[in-house]
Amino acid sequence: MNTQAAPALLRAREVSVRLGGAVVVRGAQAMLHAGELVALVGPNGAGKTTFIRALAGLLPAEGEIMLGERPLGVMGNRERARAVAYLPQGHVFHWPMQAAAVVALGRHPHMDPFSTPSPQDRAAVSRAMQRTATEAFADRRVTTLSGGERARVALARALATEAPVLLADEPTASLDPRHQLVVMELLRRATRDGGAVLAILHDLTLAARFADRVLVMDGGRIVADDVPSEALSPQRVAQIFGVEAMMVDTGEGIALIARHPL
Amino acid sequence: MPGWTTRADKKPMNWLNRQDLKLNAALAALAVVLFALSLMVGPANLSLARVIDALFRGEGISGIIVRDIRLPRTVLALLIGATFGLSGAALQGLLRNPLAEPALFGAPQAAAAAAALVIAFGLAGATSFAVPLAGIAGTMLAIGALLTIAGRRASLTVTMLAGLALASFAGAAIALILNLAPNPYVAMEVAFWLLGSLQDRSSDHLVIAAPFLLASWVILGLSAGAFRALTLGEDAAVSLGVDIDRTRFAVIVGVAFGVGAAVAICGSIGFVGLVAPHLVRRLVGYDPARLMLPAALTGAALLLAADIAVRLLPGVVEIKLGVVTALIGVPFFVAMIFSERRMLEGSPS
Repeated sequence: MNTQAAPALLRAREVSVRLGGAVVVRGAQAMLHAGELVALVGPNGAGKTTFIRALAGLLPAEGEIMLGERPLGVMGNRERARAVAYLPQGHVFHWPMQAAAVVALGRHPHMDPFSTPSPQDRAAVSRAMQRTATEAFADRRVTTLSGGERARVALARALATEAPVLLADEPTASLDPRHQLVVMELLRRATRDGGAVLAILHDLTLAARFADRVLVMDGGRIVADDVPSEALSPQRVAQIFGVEAMMVDTGEGIALIARHPL
Repeated sequence: MPGWTTRADKKPMNWLNRQDLKLNAALAALAVVLFALSLMVGPANLSLARVIDALFRGEGISGIIVRDIRLPRTVLALLIGATFGLSGAALQGLLRNPLAEPALFGAPQAAAAAAALVIAFGLAGATSFAVPLAGIAGTMLAIGALLTIAGRRASLTVTMLAGLALASFAGAAIALILNLAPNPYVAMEVAFWLLGSLQDRSSDHLVIAAPFLLASWVILGLSAGAFRALTLGEDAAVSLGVDIDRTRFAVIVGVAFGVGAAVAICGSIGFVGLVAPHLVRRLVGYDPARLMLPAALTGAALLLAADIAVRLLPGVVEIKLGVVTALIGVPFFVAMIFSERRMLEGSPS
């Protein structure tokens, strides 16, 4: 895919984040173009979640983060919320609300708190639920849903925001193999209308299979930013993850197989 | 069109929900009935006709009973009950926890300690603005400390332990005030006042409390949307544009205004904030924003009913209102813990 021609929806340069005195992210950079699905991988403690939270405006960060043409720092809460959607880890729902009501929360940044939802709000919720095939349990309480169904509702909520950039923190964690593929395909499809997705993934095979580009993070730095076959070369996987891996060209893209720890 | 869209037409997302109109109307009607009953019931039982007559023409003894004795008490019960219901719903929304209740976090105790300090040491008369202001300051300290300790993740265990510590500390402060009271009569007066009652409250009390109570409604009501977004957790809520620091501050100030002013007038009355939201939560689809109004109406109805009950119970001495709400509230709390045991055991902390 020729991503260079597409407009940059997110540009992060020299981003550093301190958490409790420790520098967790050191001068990291990232670019997201329209239509791109980018994977962010790295060992535990590499700073992936911190980096993505900084990009979502949830943490104060040094450096330059641009959403489209606007610096993140000058955006108000609601403007930022319309520009970048964030899907946290774990698909948490604290109250057993109905799935449709949860998805509708995605419209929060578009709505005046005391008004009823506009036709656009309803249409966005409807599209998000259609796309994630969650209409069937729209009336069910989220606490009664299976893990895979909850993951889809959580994703529908993030999609309902209709922000051009979606940042997802381990969207496939603790899902069965089928739902991991379902979620990845949904993320893939979400980029088709000109959006961009950056997803933290622990499963390198999924990253290699679905991502247009892979960012490899280690020790708070982005150490590689390339197409999967380059970014996840066996040498780099060995060096960063301590895993001996092999890469197979299946004819429909590459498959990365982790073999054993080094 | 998918089925949910038609439902969504009936269930708009705003907090003053059309779907909830029936529920709110029913609760409001209940509160009105209890309000009227509260004007009728007492040592001298009056008929509805006499109450209405006394209210609007108010001559003679029944005029004094209804207008000067029962009306302030009844209006206070209504306002304070609604405030407790709303404060409970707001704290539960912020902490994403159905067991959050100002009384469990030492808020009324802290308000009581601060107000008792002012009264016991003669810094101000019982009907001066200094008393609710002291109560507000005490509550603000308690809720502020609680939210600081509970932190971003607001885990159940940490929140409850912090609340326990604060409640114990406020209790100790009250004990210290009683201990150091200049004379036994003052100590006795403070001790009785702490039991919580609306007996013999005048329109002066109403005038000094009402502005703070109404302000707390506005402050807490404006955060309803944030409470709803918080069902996704703090990070997701912030990513949806919620200003979490402002929301937390609004809850501290709102609960402090409401509970602080209420406790300054009526002493320590607990558990309305726990019970009221719980009774109606299911009826609003567990939506923390839609919960606010029904929780306030339920709180008002509960406190009115409790205040009628203390007058109906036989005995020479009137049972204190705070005693009744605790006697009913604590078993209710235990039952809630029992029924939510699985959620509590499995709750991420």
